[in-house]
Amino acid sequence: MVRTLLVLGLSVFSLGVAAQQKAPVNALAQEMVDFHKRIDAYMKVRDEATKDLPDVKETGDPSKISAREKALGQAIAKTRVAAKPGDVFGEEMSAYLKTALAEDWKSRTPSDRKALFEELPRGIKLAVNQPYPTALPLVSVPAKLLARLPMLPETLEYRLIDRYFLLRDRDANLIVDVLSNVYPTRDR
Amino acid sequence: MRASHLLVASTLSVGALAYVAGSPASPIIGAAAMQQSAVARAAIQVTPPREKDSVRFAIIGDTGTGTPSQYQIGEQLSMARQMFPFDFVIMLGDNIYGSERPQDFLNKFEKPYKALLDAKVPFYAALGNHDDPTQRYYKPFNMNGERFYTFTKGAARFFALDSNYMDQAQLKWLEEQLSRATDRWKIAYFHHPLYSSGEKHGSEIDLRTQVEPLFMKYGVDVVFAGHEHFYERIKPQNGIYYFIEGGSAKLRKGDIARGPLTAAGFDTDFTYMLAELGKDAMQFQVLARTGKPIDSGSLPLTAEPKRAEADKPSSR
Repeated sequence: MVRTLLVLGLSVFSLGVAAQQKAPVNALAQEMVDFHKRIDAYMKVRDEATKDLPDVKETGDPSKISAREKALGQAIAKTRVAAKPGDVFGEEMSAYLKTALAEDWKSRTPSDRKALFEELPRGIKLAVNQPYPTALPLVSVPAKLLARLPMLPETLEYRLIDRYFLLRDRDANLIVDVLSNVYPTRDR
Repeated sequence: MRASHLLVASTLSVGALAYVAGSPASPIIGAAAMQQSAVARAAIQVTPPREKDSVRFAIIGDTGTGTPSQYQIGEQLSMARQMFPFDFVIMLGDNIYGSERPQDFLNKFEKPYKALLDAKVPFYAALGNHDDPTQRYYKPFNMNGERFYTFTKGAARFFALDSNYMDQAQLKWLEEQLSRATDRWKIAYFHHPLYSSGEKHGSEIDLRTQVEPLFMKYGVDVVFAGHEHFYERIKPQNGIYYFIEGGSAKLRKGDIARGPLTAAGFDTDFTYMLAELGKDAMQFQVLARTGKPIDSGSLPLTAEPKRAEADKPSSR
C-alpha cells in the first residue's frame, strides 16, 4: 500500500514536473504561431495600403526610389494610425525577445559589447509608424542573435538602435513595432 | 610580378571638383582643390595584368563620403585603368554615407567615378551599415533589386552578401548558390570583416561562425570586406585569403593593432585595390592615394584542401 502510494505520488509529481517543463515550450510555440499571424495581418494591411503604388524596379534615378519609399511609408502609416508599441510583437513575444537579447548581451565579451555600443547611435527617440532616421547607420543585427529569432518576410527586418529593438519595414523605411530598453545603459 | 609602370596624370583637370568634408554638396575651388590636383598629378605605379584572359577588377570600400579623398581615389582608379584595364569594380559597402537624397547619389557616387561610369565600367555594390537597403534598386549598383546576389565573370563567381543582416534566408540562399557553383574562383565580398586587427571594430566573430563554415565547405578562395577604414591583408585563415579595403574615402589613422592576423596593413592614407584572377593565381596590388604601391603579391589558387574537405560526406 505504502509502495503503491509512493509510486502514485511519484507519478503525479513527475507529471506535474513534466507539465511545468512542457507548458512554457507549448506556450512559446503558440506565441510563435500568434506572432506569425500578427505578421501576416500586417502584410495584409500593407498589401492593401500599397496596392495602387507602382512596383519597385531598378532605376538610375534615386529620386524615384526615395519617392516610392516615402509613398509606401505614408500609405502604410495611414492605415495603422492607432498602432502602438507591442501590437505586432505581442506581450509574450516581447518577453521572449527581451530574454533573447539579454542572453545575447551576456554572452558577449567586454570588447564585443564595447564594439556594439560604439555602433549604436544614442539619444534617439523612436515611435511606431515613424520613418527610421535614414541619416543614421543601420546597425548590424548580430548573426547569432538573428538565428534565434523568428523568421520574417523579406520586406521586414529586426533592427537595433540605441536601446531599442525594432521591427522595420525595409522598403517603406517604417518602424512597424518597437521594444524599448532592451540593452543596458552605457555606464553599465 | 612584372615591373611597375609609371603613369603621370598630366591630363587631369586642375579644377577638378573638391568638396569640404561635412558639406559634400558645396563645391569649392581653393586650397583643397589645389591639394587635390597636386595629389592627382602624382605618378602612380601600376603593374599591368599578367595573363591574357584573366578576370580583372578593382576593389573599393567605405566610399560614399563625397569628400576630396573619394574624388582623388576615383581619379586614381581611372588612371590605373589605363595600365591595368579592369572590367568592373566591386564596392564593399557604405556606398552612401549620411543622407541618401538624389544629390547624394550624384556627389558621393556618380561624380567621383564619372570617368569610369562614362567608360561603361560596371560597379557591383554590397550593402554596408550606412546604406539604406533600398540602394538595391539603384541601377548603377547592379544589385538586381537584391540585398545579396551572385554574378560570374569569366572563370570566377562573385557572391555579394548583406553582412548587416545575415538571416536564415540569406544563409540558405548562400549555401544553395555555393553548392551549385563550379567556377574556378569563388569570391565573396561584403561589408563586415570576419578577421580584422582594427582597434575600433575588430573581427566579426558572430558573422564568422555563420558564414565561414560555408566558405570552407564549398571552397571560397578570397573574401573582401570593408567597414574598417584602412587596408589589411590577413594571413590566410582556413585556406581562405581575407582582405580589408575600407579606406577608399574614409581613414582611421593608426587603427591597425598589428598582431597575429596581420600579413600586411596600411592605415596612414586612402587606398584601393586591383586584382587579377588568373589560371592558377590571383595577382593583387594595393595603391595609396599618392599612387604609391603599398602591398602586392601573387596568391595561388589553394582551394584544393577545402574542396577535398567538402567532398567528405556531410553531416547535414
